Amino acid sequence: MFELLGHGLLTVLEWKYLLPLFAGTLVGVIGGALPGVTITMTIIVVLPFTYGLDPLQGLATMTGVYVGGSAGGLVTACLLGIPGTPSAIATTFDGFPMARGGAPGRALWLGIWSSFFGGLLGGLFLILVTGPLAAIALEFGPWEYFSLFVLAMAMVAGLAGSSFVKGLLSTAIGLLITVIGTDPIGSVPRFTFGSEFISGGFPFLPVLIGIFAFAQIMSDIEKVGVPKTPGAVLGAQPSLAVSHLKVIGEILGRPFLLLWSTIIGILIGALPAIGGSAANMLAYDQAKKFSRHPERFGTGVPEGIIASESSNNANVGGSLVTIMAFGIPGDAVTAVMLGAMTIHGIQSGPLFVSQQPGLAYGIYAAYILAHALMVLILAAGTLFVLQITRVRLAVLAPVVLVLCVIGAYALNNTMQSVYVLLIFGVFGYALVKAGFPLAPLILGLILGDQIEINLIRAIMTDDSLLLFFTRPISGGLLFCAALSVGLAVWQHVRHQRRTPREEAHDF
Amino acid sequence: MRLGRDSFAGLIFLSVSLALLVQSFGLPQLPLVPVGPGFYPRIVLIFMAVMSVALVVQDLLARRAGVAGVGAPAQPQRAYGLVALSFAIIALYIVLLPLLGYRIATVVFVAAMQATLERPTTWRQWAVLAAIAIGTSALTYLIFERYLAVLLPRGSWTNW
Repeated sequence: MFELLGHGLLTVLEWKYLLPLFAGTLVGVIGGALPGVTITMTIIVVLPFTYGLDPLQGLATMTGVYVGGSAGGLVTACLLGIPGTPSAIATTFDGFPMARGGAPGRALWLGIWSSFFGGLLGGLFLILVTGPLAAIALEFGPWEYFSLFVLAMAMVAGLAGSSFVKGLLSTAIGLLITVIGTDPIGSVPRFTFGSEFISGGFPFLPVLIGIFAFAQIMSDIEKVGVPKTPGAVLGAQPSLAVSHLKVIGEILGRPFLLLWSTIIGILIGALPAIGGSAANMLAYDQAKKFSRHPERFGTGVPEGIIASESSNNANVGGSLVTIMAFGIPGDAVTAVMLGAMTIHGIQSGPLFVSQQPGLAYGIYAAYILAHALMVLILAAGTLFVLQITRVRLAVLAPVVLVLCVIGAYALNNTMQSVYVLLIFGVFGYALVKAGFPLAPLILGLILGDQIEINLIRAIMTDDSLLLFFTRPISGGLLFCAALSVGLAVWQHVRHQRRTPREEAHDF
Repeated sequence: MRLGRDSFAGLIFLSVSLALLVQSFGLPQLPLVPVGPGFYPRIVLIFMAVMSVALVVQDLLARRAGVAGVGAPAQPQRAYGLVALSFAIIALYIVLLPLLGYRIATVVFVAAMQATLERPTTWRQWAVLAAIAIGTSALTYLIFERYLAVLLPRGSWTNW
């Protein structure tokens, strides 16, 4: 294993791979730091650039974006008080007060080094666990896969902030989109109304890009002219000088906090559909609960920054485990990565690591090196990144939209994918305006085909539906799904009783 | 009682799911597969219909309890006109892409979007706008077509 990893590291250290990895990490850090641009959006923008690269170059670029993006959010979170991505929300709670209190360098570097250590621990988990988990996944039959997907959807719908019912309805819409076109078993056209345009179904990536990118850009455009929350009270050029040894000592001097936050990040990442936005909040909450002085949280304590930042980078490792062991994208970012793998003709799944060891260990190596590059990039250019975050929407929006169009068009060099992009762009924006969360829809979209194929395979093997409940793993997963739904309903009812309805845009 | 936004959304999705549900029964059966191509879509559509009804009921109950009116915070001003205009410009861009070709259509699109989102007032700002538009088109074209070998649309009118 370590020999393969060493070989992977040597491969990725070649310029051919190091350059795309560096570019991906840099773009990730910038995308992560830009408020209003999420990691998913950044990876969507980077996607078309990977079409012309070889598989490892493409995946190294995307891994760089994922790692860089997960850390980049802390720059604006600490220095401006505005989280660059949802996965850095909890970093603002203590990062910004610490920076405002006269220690911006300490706040920033506590975040960077926590991201580094959390990410590396996540990497250790990724390398050690992916193989054994893939072996377990090989034992999975269609019943287990079906139940795992049901659990994933139950969890993500339950986590949809605004409304549980809307979360489930959003999931159903995602599933319905995958049903349109030819059926996967007998190639019978379904709900195509005789149209050539949709006879093959909607291509996955243009739908995802349309729904996600357009909804986000249009939500930004509608705020044009609205006064922004004041930030940057630290001045244009805050001093970020700090003793790195002291900061690292502060982090490693809290091993339990670092380890627990990392474990939370990894587990949340490994669970399909729950991303860094949940990981950092949960880790922060846990850090507060375990603290001897919880009342000081929110005033600029290092524990808050360490918990949030170590968990969101460890989350990346967890997400990569799911995609590499099971072939299931855990979130929209890994879904785009899976799409890129498919474009290169790579089959992801339990056999991926054993059949493509060069690629798999190349991804591990890229993941580890991306953390080192992220630290170097932020060491050399935090203030530069901060300057870039001031880029105007009038420039950013058209450039991002052009890259979205290229991403859709270059999939198969037809305008059809671009039309699909526009249709789902309008649809996604309308859903957001109607208060529907997009995460469950995207998960339904990602898993829809697999759910159907596994359901039909299970029934073709044995037509007893009871097997879904009586096979231990499948039954256990369905029990967890029911528990998740029950818990979400209970929480929803309790929340409704306590507070009036609120609208939340959840991407 | 007036229907709320959620009720409207619920009714739309209910109509869609019921219409497709009816259609799913017309799908042919396959000889070797125990369940036909309509089996799984029917599960999805029934689930969707039930959730749509739940959304309508939830909305009506909330409205009856007067929750929405009492607690709804004032919505900040939003530039919906700008959003509609942006969608229109994107649609026009997509229509023009196969006619004018990537390079020309992208210059026009980036310039139009910039001018829409932030209208330049001085000649210098117009020059920056034009430079960004031409630069975006030229740079993406060079990177994708020349370096990454990704083909971009050619214009049937311009052959460019």
